[in-house]
This record gives sequence, structure tokens and C-alpha cells, in this order.
Amino acid sequence: MLTYVLRTLVKMAITLVVIVSLVFFATRLSGNPVDFVLGEGITREDRELLIAYYGLDASIGTQYWRYLASVFSGEFGLSFLERRPVSQIVLGRAWPSLKLLLSAVSFTLIVSVPLGILAAIYRTSIVGSVVMVIAFLGYAVPAFIIGILLVLIFGYTLNWLPVIGDGSALHFIMPTLAISGMLVAAITRFTRNAMLDVLSQDYMRTARAKGLPEWIVILKHGLRNASITLLSVIGLQIAGLAAAGSVVVEAIFAWPGIGDLLVRSAILRDYPVLQFGVLSVAIVVIVINATVDIAYAYADPRIRLAKG
Amino acid sequence: MTKLLATTALASLIATGAFASELTVGAANVSSYLDPGRDHSNVGSQFYYNAFDTLIAKNHDTTDTEWLPGLATEWKLINPTVMELKLREGVKFHNGEDMTADDVVFSLNRMYQADFPPYQVRARDRLGNFEKAEKIDDYTVRITAKRPEPLWETLLNLQQVMIIPLDYTKSLAGDPDKIEHDDYEAFSLKPVGTGPYKVVDFVPGERVVWERFDDFWGEKAPLDKVTVKHMPETASRITSLKTGEADIVTNIAPDQLGLIENDPDMKAAGSATALFHVMIMNVNHPKLKDPRIRQAMSLAIDRDTLNEALWGGKAVVPSTHTLKEFGELYQPELTTFEYNPEKAKELLKEAGYDGFEITYDTAPSYYTNGVLAAQAIMEMWAEVGIEGRVNVQDKWSGSSADMMARNWSNPMYFADPFGSFGVMWAPHGPSESEGRFNTDEDYAKAWEQFRFSGDTELRRAAYAELMERIKQDPPVLPLYRPYESWAMKTNIDWAPKPGHIPYVLDFRAGSIAVN
Repeated sequence: MLTYVLRTLVKMAITLVVIVSLVFFATRLSGNPVDFVLGEGITREDRELLIAYYGLDASIGTQYWRYLASVFSGEFGLSFLERRPVSQIVLGRAWPSLKLLLSAVSFTLIVSVPLGILAAIYRTSIVGSVVMVIAFLGYAVPAFIIGILLVLIFGYTLNWLPVIGDGSALHFIMPTLAISGMLVAAITRFTRNAMLDVLSQDYMRTARAKGLPEWIVILKHGLRNASITLLSVIGLQIAGLAAAGSVVVEAIFAWPGIGDLLVRSAILRDYPVLQFGVLSVAIVVIVINATVDIAYAYADPRIRLAKG
Repeated sequence: MTKLLATTALASLIATGAFASELTVGAANVSSYLDPGRDHSNVGSQFYYNAFDTLIAKNHDTTDTEWLPGLATEWKLINPTVMELKLREGVKFHNGEDMTADDVVFSLNRMYQADFPPYQVRARDRLGNFEKAEKIDDYTVRITAKRPEPLWETLLNLQQVMIIPLDYTKSLAGDPDKIEHDDYEAFSLKPVGTGPYKVVDFVPGERVVWERFDDFWGEKAPLDKVTVKHMPETASRITSLKTGEADIVTNIAPDQLGLIENDPDMKAAGSATALFHVMIMNVNHPKLKDPRIRQAMSLAIDRDTLNEALWGGKAVVPSTHTLKEFGELYQPELTTFEYNPEKAKELLKEAGYDGFEITYDTAPSYYTNGVLAAQAIMEMWAEVGIEGRVNVQDKWSGSSADMMARNWSNPMYFADPFGSFGVMWAPHGPSESEGRFNTDEDYAKAWEQFRFSGDTELRRAAYAELMERIKQDPPVLPLYRPYESWAMKTNIDWAPKPGHIPYVLDFRAGSIAVN
């Protein structure tokens, strides 16, 4: 088990080093910030002045070196727009985004795993069909539509729920629902399929033959085995969500998160912020993947024995 | 559950109502930094007037030019290039420091003799004629111009020369007894001025919080506290008025006005903003060198139809590059730009236009209605036989040799044609320097007279001459003054004042009332 964990961690570190360098060169290929909104309507002379001010007149080697230094210093450089360390900017915005992500993931798991199990057990009856129709609907309606609809119904018309920011528990309801729509649909369907695979296995019949109560058969023998398939799917879905999923929802609910920051820095080519943003999303994805790999090995002895 | 939610929401509504002199503003955009000197953006200009003062103030209730004492109580020319100003005594900065000549000289010279790149860039196009400011005694300063200056008051009323404290700024970074560039960087995150509100909290891009400054030298602020919050989504901004989370919201699109006006809880206020959305044309593009082609591109556009269709007729279509705010220099009688599709067809024929494609660049969302206007313009071009194509991209293409036409804006940075046309289209200014506009000796001569003549009639004549040049060899077509709207709860009385530059959120005494 330990070798397996170590190996996963080393792979993770190598991926990170590659990404750190790729991010630097990719952002620079995308254009010069002075050519975007910053430099609208200034003379050529002033343009040169600003390029030097942002340190973009140095050779690409020097800039890369400075960038590496800023990564290791932990500050990640000064934002072109806000003129303060990127680490400080992101620190203030990371927690709200993370809270929303946690809220959406918890909600999704609480709702979709039981729904998926129900849909599998009652697959031939009306219950199963209703669950699956809802799941398909959730999959087909994008988060921003759900978000705007919620705003119009519970904010504009009924005035029941606040729409701006993350001030209280009530503020979490609508953004969580908006983000979870797609996720609930996906996980419900995967849970159902995974359960269906498991339900027809011989060991399920054996468990029942032992005289165990049905709920223990389903949860212990059924869900536990289905969870191996589920884990990797959930990991991927969360990674996707952390990478890009909540940008639009954060904008709708004026959530003081990282999404708005990333979009703005991408449009204006605020390299230091953009680099950090891409980097941190990459790190989140890598960490989630590694965690899933390790959890996978924990759940299924065959994996850790085969690779370790 | 729903009952509980409703009760909580109701309770919070009542709570907001109880503190009537606290306001929340929902803004589509919040600045990334707050330094009046380096900023001239439309986002930034929302935030300075409440917290900062200029030496010479202005009556903003009217578009007429009426100067008022500000941080200076009197001013007089002691010779054609030197002005002496008496400073107001007893003025305090938000950090408790007294304002003296040292602060004023520092604030002015940081722009007049700028060595910090963002200040250099901002000073060059409008403050180039000012040499220095000097202290005579604690409450007297002298300002020296390089050449006789016809716009003294205008250029001392600019946002860029609002007064900031010397000692405070020095102490922000590095050596506390010296001014360094890092001090300016730090100031833009912790701004301090002399205005009726102090900035008590600023999170770049997210939030600005003002509180009443009790030691303000003039009439005290009417509100205890104002919180400006970033609310990027229009539907949520409008909803926040219904849920009680905001009292005023900015940037309401023209197509939302009906909704607001039909709702008994809300109302809208707006004005044709003091800026032009323009179309620029590259006079040096190999295919557009013949001025007749560019004249045709301009004559083919029916701007009144654009106004009706996109702005509900509330925008203002100009006959020349002029704004009502210019006072004596407002020249609506000039006809520089018009709609004449027949003439456009004729000119295209004369110029031998062979149907080559003309691209029109626009950013996807930067200008309200920008893409829609571009698409409508393509239809209008097609009517006269021009093959047009809209090219949507974020990149600013105005400095590219391949740019043929695109949208842009010419804001009024201050109320004079020099503050609008004069900044963007000066000899060697941004447009010429980017290689899409040419000037010659005659243009420069007319421009000199328009910029520096002390005689209003001569200035008007010179400006008319410049407009004739623009008509003959057009690099630009002002489309309209866009109509900008704010929405608010019905108990708020607020509207943009006609004498301001665009987008100013003015919450000073006499500018806002909460009922």
C-alpha cells in the first residue's frame, strides 16, 4: 500500500513541474496584456512605457526565471491590474469557492446515491422511471438556466431567498442547487448502473440466502461493491466542477469566488493571476485524481496488490 | 420550511429599512485599484468624486460651465503662464492630517513631473502643458504652464489632479520619508482624500465601502455608509432591489427598462452619457486609402435607426463630434456626419470599389449593444453594396495595420472638446501614433489654435476646420451617445447629474435623498 501511495505522489509531482512550465509559455502565447483593454487608446511611446512597467520588456528567459522565483516565494508575482501579490488576491477568494463546492458535493451525494439505489431496485416500476426522467432533465438543463430560473422564482417573484453573495446559510441554497443539477443527474445515473451490475451478482444471492435483512444486503454487499465504480466517476465530476463548472453560477449569485477572477484575468491577460489560476485548478484536479487513485486502492485490494 | 424562509427574508427586509441612511449599491463592475491620478476608466470614475476633491470645483447641476471654490478658495493669473491659488484653511484628510500647500504641490507635481509610468501615461495627453507647482507659503501655491493656457479651471478640475496627502503616501511603503513608486502602488489599495466620504474598506474588483467623514470641510454627507458590491449579472442586480439586498444598481441594459418602469417597487434614472460610441476606420489600410470609400462607409450608416432599434430612441445621434457639455464650444450647427445612402453608392462607384470585404472588429461584450450595432451596420453597408463582415474578438485591434474598421469609444474626460476629440485625435496622439490616422502641418496648426487660443471664437473656428478635415478624410464616425441607466428602489431619489463626466456615483449633499 505504501509503495502504491508513494508512486502516486511522485507521478503527481512530475505532472506539476510540467504544468508549471507549460502554464508560463501558454499564457505568453495568448497575447500581450497591453494589447487588450489596458492599452486602449494610448500612444506607441506610452505603450512601451507600460510594457516596461509590467516587466514584459525583459527576455523570455529572464521572465521565466522571475516567474519560477515568484512561484517558489509563494507570492506568484504582482497582479497587473490590482498591483498586489497574487497569493493574497486568491487567498481571499478561494475559501468562498471551496465552500460552495463542498456544499454542492455534499448535497449531490446525499440526494443522488439514494436516488440511484432506488432507481436500480425499482427499475421496472414507476419509481425508477420517474427518478430517471428527473435525472435526464437535470443533465440536459445547463447550470446557468437553473440559476437564473431560481433567481426569478425565489428572488424576484417570491423574495424568499437572498441572491447576492455568501453572507448566510440561506445564501447557499440557490447556488448549490444550480451547481448540483448536472452533478445529481450524472451521479444518480452512475449509481443506478453500478448497482444494477452488482445486484445480479451471485454473492448477492448468497447474502440473501444467509438470511440477512434486505437493507444490509443492499447497502453492505451491494453499495460497497458498486462504490468502486462510483468513486472514479465522482472524482472526475468534482474535478471538472472545480476546474470550470462554477464560473457562471458564481457570476449569477455575485459569489465572491475565484471564477470571476479567472475570467477577468483571462480576458485582460493578467498573466500572474492567470498563471496562478490555471496552476491551482491543475493542482486541484491532480490532487483529486491522486486521492481517488488511493481511495480506489483502499476500496479494492486487487488494485493495490496488482500494482504494489 | 418555506414559511421559515419567508419570515427570515421579511426580517432582513425590515432590518435594512430601519437604517435608512445606509445604502447598498450593486455595481456591474468594481475597480481593481483606486487612485484618481492614474485612472481614467469608466469603471473607476464611479468611485472618486465621493472621496476626493479638486482645487477648483464645478456646479454639476448644469451642463453650463460654472466654477466654484474647492480646495482653493480663490485663484488668479499673475502672468499668462502662472496662476496663483489660495488654499482653503482647515481642510482635513481622512487620516486626520491637515491639508497644506505641501500636499497640493505633491499631488500636482506627481502628475506634472511624473516619473511613475501609469502617471506619465495619464498626464501626457491632457496635462502636457503644465510645468510645475510650487509652494509660496502654507496656503498659497503657484502653478506654471509652459504656454498660455486657456483651460486653467478645466484642467484643475480634473479627476487626475485630485488632492492626496503627502506624508501618508510617503509612509506607505519603503522609506517613510521618501516618495517611491511602491508608495503609489500601495496608495491605490488604501486611498485617502479630503472628500465627504472616506473609503473604509476596499477589496479590488469586489467591494468599496464609504463612511461619512465628519471632519469634511463642506456640507456633510447625507448618508452614514454606502457599500458598493460587485454584481456582474443583470438579472441578479435587478432582483437584489426586490429582495432588499441593494438600493441602487448600475448598468441597466435598455431592454430591461420596461420591466423596471412597470414594477411599483422600482424606478429607473438615466441619461445620454457624455461619451460617444464610435466607428473608427484605418486611413492607412491599403484598401481604404481612398477617402471616398471611408466616406461611403460612414454615409451608409443610418444612425437614427440604430438609436431607435437598440436604444429605444434614448441615445443621442450627433451631427458632429460635439457634446452639449462643451459650453461655449458646443457646435451642433456643424454637419460633419450624415446618412446619405445614395451619395455613398455614388462615391463607391467613383472610387472603383470592387466588392472587397471590409472587416468590422468588435469585442464580444465590452460596449453595450456593440455586437448588435455591428451586425446592423453590416446590413446597412450591404444596402449600398459594401461587403462587410463582423469580426468578434477581445483583442484591441486599433493598433494593428490590418484593422479596417472597428468600434471604440471617445469619452469626455473633461468638459471641453480637448477632453474628448482633442485627447484621441491630437497630432501624434493615440490614433495617429497607432498608425490609423494621419495629420499634417495644416491640421496641427488648426489643432494648436483650437487647443491654445484664448479667444473662444477662434477656438470654435479652428474646431470647425478640424471637423471639415475629418469630413473630407474620415477616420471616425461617432455613432451615438449611449443611454446609460441606473435602477433603484422607489424610496431613493438619485439621478446622474448633467455636469459630471460619465458614470460618477455622486452621493454628496444635495445629490441623493432617501425617503
